[in-house]
Amino acid sequence: MYNSLHPGSPHEEALLWQRFALAVVIFFSFMPLLSSQEEGKQDTENRQQEIDDAIDQLQDSSKVHLLDSKSRLSDVAIPLQISSMPEANGPIIGLGDPFLGSGAISEGFDIGTGAIWNPSFYVFGTFRSAIQGYDNGQDFITEWANRLDLFGNVQLTQTERILIGFRPIDFRGQQFSGYAIGPDSIDGWEQGFNGRLTTLFFEGDFGEIFPNLDTDDSGILDFGFALGRQPLVIQNGILIDDTVDGFGLVRNTLLPSGFANLRLTFFYAWNNIHRANRAADSGAELYALFTEADFGESSIDVDLVYVSAPADSGDAFYFAVSATQRLGHFNSTFRFLGSVPLEGDTPFTQGGFLLLAEISWTPTGTDDLYYINGFLGIDEYSSAARAPDVGGPLARTGILYTAQGLGRFGSALDSEPAESVGLSAGRQFFWDEFRSQIIVEIGGRIDTDGSNRGAAAIGLRYQRALGENLILQTDFHAALQERREPGYGIRMELTIKF
Amino acid sequence: MSRLGIAKRNPIVSLLSILLVVLPIWACANQETPMNPDLSASQAKSEGLEDQEDPHASLMKERFPSASTCRACHPNHYRQWSSSAHAYAQLSPVFNAMQGTINKKMHGTLGDFCIRCHTPVGMTIKEPLFTSNINRHPLSVEGITCIACHRMNKEVGKVSGRRPLVQASILEPVYGPSGGSEVKKVIADGDFGVVTESGKPGRAIHRDAHQMTQLSQPGFCGSCHDVNLPNGFRLEEAFSEFKASPAARRGETCQDCHMGKEPGISSGYDFGPAAIVGGKKTRDRKLTNHTFSGPDYSIVHPGIFPHNPVAQEMASMAEWLQFDHKAGWGTDEFEDAVSDDATFPEKWESADDRYEAREIIDEQLLLLEEVNQRRLALLKRGYLLSEILVDRKNQTGLAFHLEIKNGTDGHNVPTGFTAERLVFLEVTVLDPQGNVVFRSGDLDPNGDVRDAHSIYVHNGELPVDEQLFSLQSKFITLNVRGGEREQVLAVNESVDSLPFLRTSTMPTTLTGRPLSARIHKRSIEPGGVKQAHYKLTSDQMRGPGDYTVRVRLKSAMVPVNLVAAVAGVGFDYGLSPRAVADRVVEGHVLLWERNTKIHVQ
Repeated sequence: MYNSLHPGSPHEEALLWQRFALAVVIFFSFMPLLSSQEEGKQDTENRQQEIDDAIDQLQDSSKVHLLDSKSRLSDVAIPLQISSMPEANGPIIGLGDPFLGSGAISEGFDIGTGAIWNPSFYVFGTFRSAIQGYDNGQDFITEWANRLDLFGNVQLTQTERILIGFRPIDFRGQQFSGYAIGPDSIDGWEQGFNGRLTTLFFEGDFGEIFPNLDTDDSGILDFGFALGRQPLVIQNGILIDDTVDGFGLVRNTLLPSGFANLRLTFFYAWNNIHRANRAADSGAELYALFTEADFGESSIDVDLVYVSAPADSGDAFYFAVSATQRLGHFNSTFRFLGSVPLEGDTPFTQGGFLLLAEISWTPTGTDDLYYINGFLGIDEYSSAARAPDVGGPLARTGILYTAQGLGRFGSALDSEPAESVGLSAGRQFFWDEFRSQIIVEIGGRIDTDGSNRGAAAIGLRYQRALGENLILQTDFHAALQERREPGYGIRMELTIKF
Repeated sequence: MSRLGIAKRNPIVSLLSILLVVLPIWACANQETPMNPDLSASQAKSEGLEDQEDPHASLMKERFPSASTCRACHPNHYRQWSSSAHAYAQLSPVFNAMQGTINKKMHGTLGDFCIRCHTPVGMTIKEPLFTSNINRHPLSVEGITCIACHRMNKEVGKVSGRRPLVQASILEPVYGPSGGSEVKKVIADGDFGVVTESGKPGRAIHRDAHQMTQLSQPGFCGSCHDVNLPNGFRLEEAFSEFKASPAARRGETCQDCHMGKEPGISSGYDFGPAAIVGGKKTRDRKLTNHTFSGPDYSIVHPGIFPHNPVAQEMASMAEWLQFDHKAGWGTDEFEDAVSDDATFPEKWESADDRYEAREIIDEQLLLLEEVNQRRLALLKRGYLLSEILVDRKNQTGLAFHLEIKNGTDGHNVPTGFTAERLVFLEVTVLDPQGNVVFRSGDLDPNGDVRDAHSIYVHNGELPVDEQLFSLQSKFITLNVRGGEREQVLAVNESVDSLPFLRTSTMPTTLTGRPLSARIHKRSIEPGGVKQAHYKLTSDQMRGPGDYTVRVRLKSAMVPVNLVAAVAGVGFDYGLSPRAVADRVVEGHVLLWERNTKIHVQ
């Protein structure tokens, strides 16, 4: 059925000879008809011409106004904008070859397995500082809060590295250094200084560490892995958003029939697993299989997690399936997640399901973004692992559902999905070559169990890059709530990236 | 509670901590200082040091022999390389603008990530990241030149092109797959008239060729053709795909299909002398083809590319850009008709010079045509197209489909930079009266297919092509909240006004991507098949009769929307965005065509 072009293979050569012999027989048998074949060829050419003429005619009538359009690429050459290029903006501390810097690359050394390591060390991170006031309808809190995410990266090769991370000025995401302005009960200086390691893991690829064991590049050892205390974000943080002590093993770029790409990851965590109540479950162990596949027009993720825990916190099984695709102008992601406690609900795990639909599109003629994200929570879905400072499973549904991860500034709308349905809809405006943006969002949720937990809110965010390392962000939200007085929040944050 | 409890609890973590302290100290001790890190052609020029007596130039020769030096004894290899994608890598104005744009959008944090592969010499000598190739050192614009591979002495693994070059003059050993026995014979044989010591009269050659067996193995290609960003973004996976392929299991190599006799198929190697030294051939051996055919094609002036020492001697890059070969300069037809008062740039005032230049241009165009034929052969082997298969034909509509098969089992197609490789079907249906009633895969006036990134579609001036069949993968970025969206460039400006490229704070080996961006691969797996379905509704039907269907499978180097996305920083050689787009579209190749008439009752 297919055309083929594989000269050289014996089978093809034999086939070519057979075809040649057949052609000779046909030629002499049908000599008288040759002239009609010529006519057939002419007919094919005429048909091609007919199609091309028809297309030309179509284009002539439709193209005229399009050639004058603002969409037409300019025929004016733009001089190279060399002076507008930013200076090299590397990490604040670097040892060894500069991070993505020009210059000679060091030769490195053989670690004895055939792998060449060329270590370098970089320090980078983010400092955030905010003044903010937050009223959840019951309490009004005003504070100055700070957070520093500091990382040291030992790059051994382009595939192997060790990452160490600290948050030296906030403790476990619950106590941030700064100043509490009000209410009186918390008024005063606060400090969360600590030397706790928040991240420390090694990641690499067995095939790259032991190249001498696979000299013919069969790929048999191409398993990636990561070991240590590591952040894990699965299903956009809805299934897992935690930093755990664990070991992961992955096989990337699998190509079974029908798949453009498939990735399988096994993960085992033995410590620092925070569960539905955001508390570390000291006896829990987590086993997971994560898959991601590019299949047809969609990317499909299927993730399975089992948490084995002491009786008082409870074993549980979790699953998540999602499909992401673009349909015409619309981007869409649909998710279905479930949590199934095997020994009944406990504070550490609750049973339930969560459905999400995330739709977005770019308005005509702009680079802006419209988004509508809706959810339906059935029973009390809970994440398999969830850090204390990342908010609830709905945290990425909208900016109104998102805690800031800095100080006591909470979300406008509850980010737990239990027995409720809700949505957020927003537009993100960009200008100044994407250096400035405003997000306007409205959102709301209602309970489905008659518990009067309904709420609606409006939010506004302005964010602007200042120079090449600073971001200024301001947020405002106001919320109407069935159970409480109206709430609101306002804040201004300065972020330094280095 | 112990604030440092983690280290106390886990011996593995303790070990990692020790490594963390020891390795940076070692890294400090391991720093290498380049011999002359700040040398660049533009600087040399500004210092008035660009003539042959330039001490900097001779110093460059001491560190990096140019391809034209190698050409003296390896003319066939040079000729193949000179028109290759490797030789074009740094000259590409689309690449130059793209890496400049991303570096700007990444606020200077992209550094040399992209350009390190495209000009390893330029980056080693610390040339600017973004400038005109006209200002770069001639060695730098050679791109992936001979020494980028043959002055590699270590098997470095998947380093995304961050490979250390051995810096030494032509007299020092080179690295090849089969060692230096023939070189030694040549040196020992006085008839070749070679010298291996500096300052001595004779033909200077390398005094040895050390064996680097990996040069003929896939792993060598993998050091550049698996591109992983420090943040975990898997930009290109050609090598990983190969390793997961049936071809790899059979023991075939990248080189077998891409450096053999025929492009795109394991067809054996040519046999002949690797070098011709002073007109005398060395002994016959396996020869690899250095054309490295691929989907890219040149859109720069043929006086500049292919690399050609004669052209370089005749005029500078800037001067060649002034030579209007398309107007016919240097042809009898043009020169006979040109009026006496016609004005030309100073370099091209003389008709003799124009004739001489025309000869060079004609040779260059012939070479480019050779390369185009190899490119076409490669692509045709990569993609197979079925006949048109009719599913439904009546007054309520017409439905048909085709199958597109990956003709190779060595990797996906497209592979490599899949998010910017456009392979698509152009479909036209005529009604019985000869009027166009359906089109898909047609181009907008800029030359783009009508997907969501066509500027005309984006601006609402043309409808999106709902039935477009394209194998282009897509850059997907995470939205500030909710799901993801397609982008022309994988820079996420939604979650952050200040996107940075840093090493990831997460174990991205496990996830194969950073949180903020990924590629949705839409290529066809090795040996796999995809179907393209088309439907005409009843209101597109024009009564009974014969409907003519034409389907063409086409390949483009990049989509025009990429040209638009990177145009803001300017294109090299004074090219306008439209000129770049037009040349990109001129390079579209037709791989296969299918025609049929469908009779509708």
